[in-house]
Amino acid sequence: MRQLPIWAGVVLFTAVAATAAQPARVREHNPGWVAPATANAKKNPLPDTPDLKAGGKRVFHARCSMCHGDDALGTERGPDLTQHDVQKQSDGALFWKITSGNTRTGMPTFSFLPEAQRWQLVMHVRGHARTP
Amino acid sequence: MSSPRFLVLCLLAFACMAVPAAAQERAYFVTYDHYLEEPGNLEIAIASTTGIPKNNQRKYTAPWLELEYGFTGWWTGELYLEGVTTRGDGNAFTGWRFENRFRPLRDEHKITPVIYVEYESINEASRIQKEIVGSGGINFEPIDELREEHEHELEGKLILSSVVGPWNLSENFIMEKNLSASEGVEFGYSVGASRVLGTAARGASCRVCAENIIVGVEAYGGLGSTEGFARSEQRHYLAPVVGWRVGRDTTIKGSIAFGLTEQSDHLLLRVGVAFELPAGRIR
Repeated sequence: MRQLPIWAGVVLFTAVAATAAQPARVREHNPGWVAPATANAKKNPLPDTPDLKAGGKRVFHARCSMCHGDDALGTERGPDLTQHDVQKQSDGALFWKITSGNTRTGMPTFSFLPEAQRWQLVMHVRGHARTP
Repeated sequence: MSSPRFLVLCLLAFACMAVPAAAQERAYFVTYDHYLEEPGNLEIAIASTTGIPKNNQRKYTAPWLELEYGFTGWWTGELYLEGVTTRGDGNAFTGWRFENRFRPLRDEHKITPVIYVEYESINEASRIQKEIVGSGGINFEPIDELREEHEHELEGKLILSSVVGPWNLSENFIMEKNLSASEGVEFGYSVGASRVLGTAARGASCRVCAENIIVGVEAYGGLGSTEGFARSEQRHYLAPVVGWRVGRDTTIKGSIAFGLTEQSDHLLLRVGVAFELPAGRIR
C-alpha cells in the first residue's frame, strides 16, 4: 500500500505522455532556421543508384515518416518536405539540418546515423519535389 | 503481490503496447550522450544489472523499468522504478528516480553540452548502478535491513558529447548529494565511445546486418567525495557494450563490465530492451 503513490506516478506519467498529442494539422516550415554557409556548399557524394535510393526510402520510413509522413507531405509533428521552401535549399543545407537537428522545433539530431545514410535521406527527400 | 512480480507484469503490459516508431539507440548503460527523446515520444525500457561480487558475496540482480518522455526538443524526462533480488537473501523494491536532461543549444556543435538533474528516493538496497559515485563497495548486509534505510539524493551531471567521424564520444561528470545524511558531495564519472557498424543503407530490408548494430565501450566509476578521494576505496569499471536494433521501434542491448579495482564487483552483466511509442499512437 505504501507503494501506491509510486504506481500512481507511473500511470500519471504515461497519461501525460498519451494526452500530449495535438489534433492533426501539418506543421509549418520554419524559415528562420538556416544552415551555415559552409554546410550549404556541400555536395551529395553518393551516386544516384536505385539501391542507394531504395536504402534512403527505407531509412526515411524508419526514422522520418512518423513526423513527416510516409509521402513526406508532413504531419502535425513535422513540416511538408515537398514544398518549395524546403526543396529550394541545397543538398548540403538539408544534410546539415538532418545531422544537427533543432531543439527549438523538436527536429531530432540524426548525427548518430552513418554519414552515407544521411545523404541517402537527402536523396530521398529530393525525390519528393513537387512539380511546379 | 510482491514488487518484482508486479514489475514484471507492468513490463509485459508495456511490451504488448509497443507500436512502430523511430528509435534513437544508445548502446551505453551508464554514459549519456546528447541525443534526447523526440518530443511526444515515450520510450519504455526494461533492463537489469546482475552483479558477480568478489569474496564469495551473494550474486544479485537489480531490474529496473524506465519511462522516458520527450517533453520538448530540449527537455527529456525519465522516471525509473527499480528493485533487487539477491540469491538466498530476498528481494525488494528499492525506489524511484526522476531525471531530467536539458540541451541548452539549438544546434549540434563540436562538443554538445547537456545538463542533467535527477532526484532519487531510494534505499540502501539499490544496486542498479546506473551511475557510480563516491567511494567504497556495495553494502552486502541483508536486504531486509538495507531496505529500511531510505535516502533522498540530488544528482547533477554535465554531459559533453561529440561526433567524430562515425564515432560518438561522450563524457559525463557526476556530482551527487545525499540529502538524508551529511556525507558531503560525492563525485563520479563516465566516458564512452560508440558507433553504428554499417555505412550506407541497403535497399532490401534486413534485421541482422551491420547498419542495425551499434558497438562501443564505456568506462565509469566513483572518485570519492568532499570528505576524501582515497584511491583504494574507488570503484572503476570498463565495459564493452553492444546494441541491436531488432525492429523500427525496438532495441536490445547488453554489456559486460569488468571491475578494475579491489572495491569493484568482479563483473556487472547488463541487459536491456527498449520500445519507443509515439504518444499520438497510444491514445
